[in-house]
Amino acid sequence: MAAPMEVALVSDAAGPLCNCAVWELHSGSALPGYRGGNSGPRALALLGGEHLLGAQLGKSYINVWELQRKDQLQQKIVCPGPVTCLAASPNGLYVLAGIAESIYLWEVSNGNLLAILNRHYQDLTCLCFTDDSSHFLSGAKDCLALVWNLYSVLQAEPSQIPDPRHVWSRHSLPITDLCCGFGGPLARAATASLDQTAKLWEVSSGELLLSVLFDVGIMSVTLDLSEYHMFCGGMDGSIFQVDLCAWPVQRDRSFQTERENGKVFKGHRNQVTCLSVSTDGSLLLSGSHDETVRLWDIQSKQCLKTMNHKGPVTNAFIVLAPANMFNPDGKPSVPLPKFSKHLHGTESSDEQGSNGVTLRLGLHQQVVAPSGPCRSAGRATWRRRRRCTHRCTPRGKR
Amino acid sequence: MTKKRKRQEDFQKVKLKVGKKKPKLENATDTTFKTKTIQIPEQLKEDGMLPTQNRKLNIKDLLSQMHHYSAGVKQNALLGLKELLSQYPFIVDAHLSSIVSEVAAVFTDKDSGVRGAAVQLLQFLASKVRAEQIAPFFPLVSAHLSSAMTHISEGIQEDSLKVLDVLLEQYPALLTDRSSILLKNFVELISHQQLSKRMKSREKLSWMLSVNPNRRVTSQQWRLNVLTRLKKFLQAVVDGSSDLEAEGLQDPKESPNSVRNAVCVTWKALANDQQHVQLYGDGGLRPKINSSFRLRSLTSVTDSTEKGLSSAENLKSFIEIIIPLLIECWIEASPAQSAPILGNLLEAESQQLMQQVLSIIHLLWKLTKRHDETCKMELWLRMNYLVDFKHHFMRHFPYSLQETVKHKKKDSCKGNKYCMSSSNNVDHLLLNLTLCDIMVSLASASTLQTDSGWLDMIRKFVTDTLQDGSRLNSKQVNRLLDVTWRLMQIQQNKVATEPLIKAVFTLYQQRNLAFPVRTLLLKFFSKVYQKEDLRTQRIRSRSKVLSRWLAGLPQQLALLGTKNPELSNQLIDIIHSAASRSNKELLQNLQATADRIYDPLDGTLVLLPAETQRRLVQLVYFLPGLPAGLLACLSRCCIMGRMSAELAATLIGILHMRSSFAGWKCQVQDNSVNDVDYFSFLFSTLIGFSREELMSLQGIRGKPHISQTQLSPVCLYLTDLDQFLHHWAVTEMICHSLSTIPSQSQCFDILQTGICKYLVGLVVIPDSTAGSVLCAINKLLDQACIVNENLHKFLASCCYSLLYFLLTLDKEDAEHVQKRELLWGSCVSALALLPRLLRLLLQGLRGSRLCRDELPVVAQLLRLLMQHAPLRSHMVTNELLVQQIIKDIMTLKSGDVQEQWLTDLHYCFNIYLASHSQGPGPVNTVY
Repeated sequence: MAAPMEVALVSDAAGPLCNCAVWELHSGSALPGYRGGNSGPRALALLGGEHLLGAQLGKSYINVWELQRKDQLQQKIVCPGPVTCLAASPNGLYVLAGIAESIYLWEVSNGNLLAILNRHYQDLTCLCFTDDSSHFLSGAKDCLALVWNLYSVLQAEPSQIPDPRHVWSRHSLPITDLCCGFGGPLARAATASLDQTAKLWEVSSGELLLSVLFDVGIMSVTLDLSEYHMFCGGMDGSIFQVDLCAWPVQRDRSFQTERENGKVFKGHRNQVTCLSVSTDGSLLLSGSHDETVRLWDIQSKQCLKTMNHKGPVTNAFIVLAPANMFNPDGKPSVPLPKFSKHLHGTESSDEQGSNGVTLRLGLHQQVVAPSGPCRSAGRATWRRRRRCTHRCTPRGKR
Repeated sequence: MTKKRKRQEDFQKVKLKVGKKKPKLENATDTTFKTKTIQIPEQLKEDGMLPTQNRKLNIKDLLSQMHHYSAGVKQNALLGLKELLSQYPFIVDAHLSSIVSEVAAVFTDKDSGVRGAAVQLLQFLASKVRAEQIAPFFPLVSAHLSSAMTHISEGIQEDSLKVLDVLLEQYPALLTDRSSILLKNFVELISHQQLSKRMKSREKLSWMLSVNPNRRVTSQQWRLNVLTRLKKFLQAVVDGSSDLEAEGLQDPKESPNSVRNAVCVTWKALANDQQHVQLYGDGGLRPKINSSFRLRSLTSVTDSTEKGLSSAENLKSFIEIIIPLLIECWIEASPAQSAPILGNLLEAESQQLMQQVLSIIHLLWKLTKRHDETCKMELWLRMNYLVDFKHHFMRHFPYSLQETVKHKKKDSCKGNKYCMSSSNNVDHLLLNLTLCDIMVSLASASTLQTDSGWLDMIRKFVTDTLQDGSRLNSKQVNRLLDVTWRLMQIQQNKVATEPLIKAVFTLYQQRNLAFPVRTLLLKFFSKVYQKEDLRTQRIRSRSKVLSRWLAGLPQQLALLGTKNPELSNQLIDIIHSAASRSNKELLQNLQATADRIYDPLDGTLVLLPAETQRRLVQLVYFLPGLPAGLLACLSRCCIMGRMSAELAATLIGILHMRSSFAGWKCQVQDNSVNDVDYFSFLFSTLIGFSREELMSLQGIRGKPHISQTQLSPVCLYLTDLDQFLHHWAVTEMICHSLSTIPSQSQCFDILQTGICKYLVGLVVIPDSTAGSVLCAINKLLDQACIVNENLHKFLASCCYSLLYFLLTLDKEDAEHVQKRELLWGSCVSALALLPRLLRLLLQGLRGSRLCRDELPVVAQLLRLLMQHAPLRSHMVTNELLVQQIIKDIMTLKSGDVQEQWLTDLHYCFNIYLASHSQGPGPVNTVY
């Protein structure tokens, strides 16, 4: 196990026998899956290389497995409502869940519920973090995609609702998928929507870079690691490849009977709900409502493998396998605490005062954002919002 | 001898005799010709000469005449120059620098005629020369202009304003670049510096209004003239910097910043390699188009770049100078001075003056807001001027309508000319509103207590104006809404805002408002709504009036029809944003009016242009419920072809998403779409014709519309090509929707029942419908499905009718030829998929029913079926049947002549079927 291995994690809506199947990407050999319950769409997340979280479909709890103990459900996190989407920050410190029209933010280390964000008007559909965990994006059925700065959300006073850094309102039907590229706050993010467009945005400025109008509604979108291609899964089962960087000279492939064939992956019979690209950019994993997961070779657009499932595929993504997954003796360094159901700081403020101190540095520098009418969304200055937070507990109680 | 004679011939003597005419000499000149004169009006000019005007003066002459001592010559030169330039426009380009410098020099000429001519010429030039062309010479022009403005002679000062007018009209941007000098000139025109010692000690120059008795006009008139220009100038400054943030009633969404760089492409263009996306071609660094960087500042001559209005400090100092002057003007003009008893009666002239004063202050306020990031400026303004303003402006605040009417009456007896100027130029309401705007922007939420007195006055005025504001024009309404918005911002509690919204709503309910007014009101409401929506998460206090307005929108949209597509578009925008935020009242009302909006005959959907249709179709997604009636309407909309096929496909996709088949099985679905209704939507859209239409088709007979054959009970109605293609595109989408339904066999059963119930038994069936049915069956059929006998028979006769139609098709008939591929494909794949169908088809061809005329067609059909590779194995199983048919054909055919088609048929049969028993080898070699 010296070299990092890529595995595909796939879950479907069918049965509790095998919630999440795991198979090795290149050899195709199946590894033991995780049992118990079944996960909802866009609600399966790896947390810090030690845990696997999966929100139960249609129910209001989250299943948690320790990565090495596959057969046994470790704990259930009970939530205030059915979880529609879930995301864990890449640094393993925070967990986000979309419950109805609010976003819940938990801190992993102590299980505190840090914030409930109510800026969407309808149910959330997808959440995603930037790769440095500094920002997160949320998309919902109200056609809005919001970009949040994690730290300004944490910093906000409990009395005031934190503002998202950008509000992207150029879609005209519900957002179906989000994908954030590489580069932290400078990344580009892709959004897919039922209004038949996929759009590419810049997180830092909030500007729209590209909008592609298709013939069918787009259900899923992903970018490859180098962001040369954008893959969009359509409602009719085709996967479209948009080249973001077209070379001026066509060097090869002079004979193609039908041009479109060079850019469409055809094979699925129903809407494509999940897409993921391997780290070397050569393989594309797609899951569909037709109860199959397919693995494609991107260069030649051929289907390499088809895995049949018993229900519509809810999650399918490729990750570099964490070491704990194969090491039966490995244990999480810290057990997962109990996740709180109530907002931290409001209900248990007296208790918190006794055993923990929250430092808010730079609070005095906070500038109250002018509430005038002429503040345009595109121009929000993010430097002002970036302050650092340190939450620490006193070393010893005296 | 001979020699001698010759010599005599040479020198023969001519003998002249008296009385006889003298013979003509050989070298005599004939002088009998006549002459005529030729007139040459102009000289030829091509020999390096410059073009000239009427008086044969070229450009050089004219320009040199400008230095003549005589005013008359100069004036003539200017007029001549204008004439010359209008005749030969190209001279302008070549000599612009000398023309401009000469013309500018005479701005300060002593003679008024010369100045008048110069202004005329300038006007002419300004219309011809673009701003970029004149920019290099502009420092010169403006230097002359300011020397004219500061000239000691009043006449020159007066005429300088005319020059300013021309320049402001054509080159506002260039003029505003040099605002520092010009602003100072303006101030100097109406005032002089006070040099008393008291003022000096403060080290600030103080200005006082000056009165010059030498002028031809009264000093008030003169001030009015100057202030009018100053207002124009400031307006240009405000307009010039338009890249500033969206202000007032503009949506933040529409700010140009975010739109500028976006690349919008369609997938079709990408897939066909017509268009490429090059996102990182320049390393992600796009050149900013609006860069204001210049290597050399054009205004650097006077080093005044920092002195203009662009910095907050300069603006502040200018305000310090100008506002006391303006207040002085106001006092002079104000009614209190002239007629203390009749409080608000206004002289026309003073009224104009007051208006100019207020507009200038208003523009200055606008400018300060731009620099005002921390509200410091606002505080400063409030501190310095609130008292003065309250004292002078608010004392007689509502300068009412009644007085003006009276005033008008008085004027009307004086004479027409005067009346025109007074009543047309002054808009007393705008005056009041400008005043309100100025005052309101001085107040803020924190100072509400102290300002309540005059704020209430303004609020009352605004409310009253709104309530009987049926005759307001868009400019007034704009100002009015600005004030209202600001008032609502200052005092955000519901008690204060509700009456204001209510008043605006009263205005909105007026029947015949002009379109721009309506737009402004809509924008205002949607802004209020969005603002309110942000807050509602915490405190759910919605304004009742606002909800009523929102709830009325779908109704208005339905009533509007095609009257004003632009307005409909705006309505749809607002409805869409409210619907996507799941606003309950709106959704209920939308649901209630959905039947009218989506009516297939005269609903809003089918009447509006395509781009708007798209928005309306997307709105379907947000409807809370989709009852059967509405689905029927939508199905008709899809079919009727008043919506493009792509849009119909979008609609079908959206309905698919709303149906219970698109979601996750376990997820709790809101069962807004009944499965039965959804299926009937799919089925009736697949058929493409309503029952009534099918019934009316039954009566049609005859060649051009109907294709008929003896061997099949089904006649085909030939649809138009575009209808056919539209239907086909919709069919493909429907087939896809059907095929994604989880239990295929049940779905097929439903389809089968539908076909048996509604189509089987009809005599005339449209060709597109027959094709669509076959297409759907191809898509849905799998092993689990059981096809009943009725359907088999119906399909077989449809198939034969279609095939017969395709084979008898006239090759030149361009309209129907395009159908061939599609129909042939669906027929053949249905035959390949259902072996029983093929058998029934062949059985139908057998025996006595064959008629003689159709024999070649049948033979050709058999041949094609045999040649088609996917069908071959099925044909082999039916070999006997085919053999029998061929026999029948042989017996029926007339005459002994072995015709070509018969030979072909035999040949094919032998190759494909008869030889099959020996092995498939030769079959392959044939192809």
